Amino acid sequence: MNRFFALWKREVASYFVSPVAYILATMFLVVMGVGFWFIANVRLMSGATFYELLRALFGGIGWVAVLMVIPVLSMRSFAEEKRSGTLEMLLTAPVRGGAVVLSKFLGIFVVYVMMWLPTLLYFPMLQHISGGSVEIDVGALAAAYLGVFLLGGFFLSIGLLCSALTENLIIASISSFAVITLIFLAGFLPEVSPVPALRRFTEPLSPILHMLEFGRGVIDTRAVVLYVSSTLLMLTVTTRLLESRRWRA
Amino acid sequence: MPTMIEVQHLTKKYPGSVVAVEDVSFSVASGEVVGFLGPNGAGKSTTMRILAGYLSPTGGEVKVNGLDVVRNGLEVRKRLGYLPETCPLYTDMRVSEYLRYRFDLKGPSRRHRRAGVERAMERCGLADVQNRLIGQLSKGFRQRVGIADALVHNPDLLILDEPTIGLDPNQIVQIRNLIRELAVSHTILISSHILSEIEATCSRVIVMHKGKVLESSPLNELSHRWFSGSQLRVEVKADAPEVEETFRSLDDVKSVTVHQEDEWACAELTFVTDADYREEVFLCVQGRGWILRELMAKRHSLEEAFVNMTTGDAGS
Repeated sequence: MNRFFALWKREVASYFVSPVAYILATMFLVVMGVGFWFIANVRLMSGATFYELLRALFGGIGWVAVLMVIPVLSMRSFAEEKRSGTLEMLLTAPVRGGAVVLSKFLGIFVVYVMMWLPTLLYFPMLQHISGGSVEIDVGALAAAYLGVFLLGGFFLSIGLLCSALTENLIIASISSFAVITLIFLAGFLPEVSPVPALRRFTEPLSPILHMLEFGRGVIDTRAVVLYVSSTLLMLTVTTRLLESRRWRA
Repeated sequence: MPTMIEVQHLTKKYPGSVVAVEDVSFSVASGEVVGFLGPNGAGKSTTMRILAGYLSPTGGEVKVNGLDVVRNGLEVRKRLGYLPETCPLYTDMRVSEYLRYRFDLKGPSRRHRRAGVERAMERCGLADVQNRLIGQLSKGFRQRVGIADALVHNPDLLILDEPTIGLDPNQIVQIRNLIRELAVSHTILISSHILSEIEATCSRVIVMHKGKVLESSPLNELSHRWFSGSQLRVEVKADAPEVEETFRSLDDVKSVTVHQEDEWACAELTFVTDADYREEVFLCVQGRGWILRELMAKRHSLEEAFVNMTTGDAGS
């Protein structure tokens, strides 16, 4: 546990000693802020309810921010260690590959969560702007954030795997961006597919629909299980990949 | 003495059928300081990386402290300190912070952390720079941080891959002294392609060339095996041709080379056996009535042994 905590602490700290986290957080909050401003001005004036605003924020503009931030947030994790050679120091220490991967994942996950935290301020603001006509549903809000964190966790684990595959940061970020975007775009299939069977099959898998549901305040356990297990799968694959140099002949 | 490292028929192939290490066997007893010698690309680093658990062997068996490095990797790594060739470090951390982090990863329990980190810093002369960022340190200090990292958790075995590479002569001497100090309580495996390095610190040398072990013997035996015939250097006040002729007539002389330096003739004599011929040479010089200003038995340097071993056909 001691070892794991040391790894995790180092991982989180590494983001804050370099400008990466600050630049990303700024970028993220600018995009979210502009989105929020737009939603608050345009949608609110046209009489949208709290739930509609929530869906617009999390199911709409939130995606842009997530697709932008996650590949950059996760690209350094293994690629940088490989490039600088510190992976050799890490893997020759008596720590399990699983602990290394999990600590890195929880490290970037915490940074990701921290980026979202300032957006909590939007809601008291929303209430203020609307002059009290918008009621804040805390339960729905919590569900929306849960959705953002579940999907974020899954995408971060994809980013981690991409990072473990290369020692080039650009390749790591572009490949994870490609994979995540592909998954995002596949989320439109239930709506655009001309084949009814494909529509039925992809509907329970669509991250876009999931996000809209979470944004409505609905926690679908199928979606929760899907993202948690997919994340664990990605982390397991990353661990195997990392340890393969030890057992691969 | 118990065996610390036991390597049997170790083979490592990289993708693309590059054979880095081929059928290498050696062992290192507990408490020994062994030098791993060989030209660049001989397979030293690959062997060390396998010992440290960073790479896996393609074939053969590697045991540290009786534990297999593949099956009991975690246990092996707990008892081993490793300094990679490139000495990679987190440049955004401070020296003491980095060593504390490494102790947390490798050390037995946090209670001993302060003592362990302080001892490592003191031994490696890092106390003055403990609050500096590693990225701002000179190459010499970084190397010392790497060594401090290797020994911070007080392991039984230290594997140091070219610990003095890129250091200035003063730093090299400091690191050598440090290694000698560490030798008292640790088993050490050091690699180098600088022979004086190995000569200065190790009691035994393993010579690798083209992925194979050429030699594994104590230092003094090594030069005996690779050279036959003692060598003498003689300087007398006489003419070179006359000196050459005189020395050639001595018993057991294999070859004589002489050159003139002003009025002094400097001769290099090689004999057919390893015996000490200084007395015979002195009597001969005395008999001719020459003035003698130097008579020295040449010790074969490891450099020569190394060149003999690695340029001959022994390795291929």
